[in-house]
Amino acid sequence: MSIETPLDLLKLNLDEKVFVKLRGAREMTGTLQAFDTHCNIVLSNATETIYELLEGELKSNTKSSDMVFVRGDSVTLITTPSED
Amino acid sequence: MSFFGFETGFPGQNKGSKGDSRKKTGTHKSKGPDAAMDFEDTYRGFGGYEKEEDDYLNDETFGNTTEMGADFDFGYGRGELDAVGHTNAVNQQNINMNRSYASAAASTGPEASVSGYHDDGMDFTPMESLWTNQALAVPPQQYQQQHQVLSMEEIERLQQQQQSQHSQHGYVGGMPPPPPVGYGYPPQHFMPQAGYQGIPQGLHQGPSQGIPQGLPQGMPQGIPQGLPQGLPIPMPVSLPMPGLPQQYPEPPHVLQQQQPVAATQQSAQSSFLGPSASQSPDLSQLSATPPAQAPITKSPASSAPGIFPQVAKPVRSAPNSRGQIVGEQDSRESTPRGIRRGSVRKVQEALSPEEIKKLQVRQAKVDKILRHSGVMTPRDKDFITRYQLSQIVTDDPYNEDFYFQVYKIIQRGGIVGESNKGLIARAYLEHSGHRLGGRYKRADVALQRMQSQVEKAVTVAKERPHKSRENLDSAKEGVLGKISSVRNSKAPRRQLQIPLQKGDEEEIESSAIEDVVQSMNGVDLSSSSKARRRSSYAFRSVDQRAVLSRSGGRKFVLSLIETVYAEVLELEAQLRSGKETDSTALWEALHIADDAYEVSPFISILSFDKGVKIMPRIFNFLNKEQKLKLLYCFFSELSHLNIIVTSSYKTNPDPTDTQLKKLELFQSVFLKIIVSFLSSSAEFVEVLGLLLALVKNNNVSFISTSKIGLNLITVLISRAALIKQDVSRGNVLSSMEASSWNEIYDKLFTSLETKLAIVFPPDEYTSKVVAASTTGTLTSATTGQSVKHQFYDQSYIWQFLASLALSGKLNHQRVIIDEIREEIFGTISRAEQLVSSSPTEEQQIALYQRDKLYQDLNLFLNVMGLVARDGEISELK
Repeated sequence: MSIETPLDLLKLNLDEKVFVKLRGAREMTGTLQAFDTHCNIVLSNATETIYELLEGELKSNTKSSDMVFVRGDSVTLITTPSED
Repeated sequence: MSFFGFETGFPGQNKGSKGDSRKKTGTHKSKGPDAAMDFEDTYRGFGGYEKEEDDYLNDETFGNTTEMGADFDFGYGRGELDAVGHTNAVNQQNINMNRSYASAAASTGPEASVSGYHDDGMDFTPMESLWTNQALAVPPQQYQQQHQVLSMEEIERLQQQQQSQHSQHGYVGGMPPPPPVGYGYPPQHFMPQAGYQGIPQGLHQGPSQGIPQGLPQGMPQGIPQGLPQGLPIPMPVSLPMPGLPQQYPEPPHVLQQQQPVAATQQSAQSSFLGPSASQSPDLSQLSATPPAQAPITKSPASSAPGIFPQVAKPVRSAPNSRGQIVGEQDSRESTPRGIRRGSVRKVQEALSPEEIKKLQVRQAKVDKILRHSGVMTPRDKDFITRYQLSQIVTDDPYNEDFYFQVYKIIQRGGIVGESNKGLIARAYLEHSGHRLGGRYKRADVALQRMQSQVEKAVTVAKERPHKSRENLDSAKEGVLGKISSVRNSKAPRRQLQIPLQKGDEEEIESSAIEDVVQSMNGVDLSSSSKARRRSSYAFRSVDQRAVLSRSGGRKFVLSLIETVYAEVLELEAQLRSGKETDSTALWEALHIADDAYEVSPFISILSFDKGVKIMPRIFNFLNKEQKLKLLYCFFSELSHLNIIVTSSYKTNPDPTDTQLKKLELFQSVFLKIIVSFLSSSAEFVEVLGLLLALVKNNNVSFISTSKIGLNLITVLISRAALIKQDVSRGNVLSSMEASSWNEIYDKLFTSLETKLAIVFPPDEYTSKVVAASTTGTLTSATTGQSVKHQFYDQSYIWQFLASLALSGKLNHQRVIIDEIREEIFGTISRAEQLVSSSPTEEQQIALYQRDKLYQDLNLFLNVMGLVARDGEISELK
């Protein structure tokens, strides 16, 4: 496979775990099932982490979903998960 | 797409334009011949009859016998008129009848064949008599005026031009007058083919009309149908080209001056046909038609829907100017056209009121049924359906329509019933409301028709990319990038693709090689490739990243996987379309024979789930030799295999749920392939070869600490043992084979000797596996009703020991038992404990689990003729 565009690199990570940073202080990890040119992505076994600043303290909540669609306009970063 | 819901009537528009037109018709008349003709003025909404008081010319047209203000409403509303579009100006203006001849034409329906055209008249008895009589009387006023405008010279010139044209077309002179008329027709015929909405059905009958006329023109007429040539006729007056119905300064000149009516007709026509078409008929007719003729034929013609006006008009206006062919009169009268048109008038005058009423009712009914019928000919419809279908059908449904195909299979439970094309045809019919099957409710016929349409559409679709690729792309490629010639679900609306630079592939490879060179820290490439380090101590491979980097890097391996997927998809597509498959590219992509990397990229491909998942599909396309090579590579570098590392309790004492799932996947996918390959097509020697590769190149004792590794060894030796038994039953195993088997087995056994006990993972590890797998449903632990009762499934270990013992000699068996004696008794005592220690309510479960333990243990013990039962080991009877 030849790599010409940035998204070709993303293609390499299909069916692999990815870490996605989103607008609104959210992050997701999950298996990349699909993506398109808008960076709309579908993740399976995804965990979303939502950060919140409450009274100067950083709190986070997590949500899990078997399969989730993430609209591309909120995606700021996609990478492989740091550990594991 | 009128039959798909398009409202040809333009209801809103009708109202507006009608008002306008009504006004304008009034003005038009008052303005007189010189008034410029406007499209809206002339033929829009002539159905209105509010302006009856302005109908000065009714007398002239119809004679005095007609009552003024008589409403001849035969059931056609205005919408109808508009829909038809060609409503005759003359008819409406002068007569102010609401009746549309288009409707009459339409009512004959599309089914009216050319020959049947004459029969039309039956419904509407011709009224030629009416017209002939009165028209004859009338002409003087209007027509003389009109043609006075054209000088004789002008007319002659026109004629000549037309003639010369004619000859160009190959209809050589001899009959100067005819050609013109003929030309008038061609455009008409052409229109229906083109699928103009506004054209009444009557159009396709055009040819028949022309012929009946008895004019020499008959010949040209036939031709015109197919040939738009009629259009190109050089016009005496150069006209702006088509599309501008309302503004034809020039042709109108001639005609308008002659006769307002003619002009209006013309413009109406021209709006549909384009200037040239409209002009030519007029002119030709002007010159050609005899004076006397005009009155007779003309009126009928004018009343006829769109097409006819042309012919009729010219006739009318021309007559006076030229008395060429007098004889034509008669023939024209007999024309179906004339008959048809005349019929209405006859009804007007000759029929009694009751009859008229009857006719009205009938007409109303027919109208209702055929409101838009005939707007398009069957050919038009076919054309449109085919065109639409060609957008949705594909020659290669599995590639371009993949999800639908899958959906279809899901929907129908995998039953392959109807053909794809049949489905499309049916869906299309239902969607467009055509399932009624038309007049005779022959739904099956409709379906058949549609299926044939789909068939044709497929052909069209097939040819499309081919054509465009040849004509367009080759020309523009490189200039504009690659033109995507086919737009389909896979490549929607993509105009440009930047062409791939050839050599990309190589660059990647070379860069990958550089990576490898780097990662090898200066190790000489050639020497390392020759003697790829098949490390017998896999602990170096614990770090997955290290393995990856030694096989080209993560990115490289991932891109290999993508390439492999692409190749497999391609091959599968070829297979579906029945082509020969060539797996060379796929084989190359697997990099199995590639010594350039320290660890074969293939092994690294298997460390990704998706790499494992694609394996069965890869195997479909490999020949036996390739499969063997692949497996040889696999077994040779087993130590590097990620899954071995993660499934070994030594290198990965703390397995995670994800890792266990990976393990499951590998077992259920790749192990299965190996087993099926070995049991179906592998020869004894080949099995031996694989086993040798495993033993020679790997640290067998390490591999045996992993579940997968143990499974693999088990598979190999048990398969070898089975074949050996089979062979000994039939052919005798060649001595060479037998001896090499013994040799290899000895090797294997030696590498395991003294370390056999380590095949049993420590309790720590097993409990962790059990704990990790409780979250999922993993078969590595037997799932009981409660977590407490889940325990590590050791059956794979006993299977391994059993097959090892089976192939070994007595001394081998003795060694095995010696080494694992503790495990044997440990298992027995655990089994007994289970029952005694468990609460009574879980007695059942405990009993079951005890049985399972014994069962596993006996797998091994039975090989040596022993059996463990109730805490004791006895001889198998």
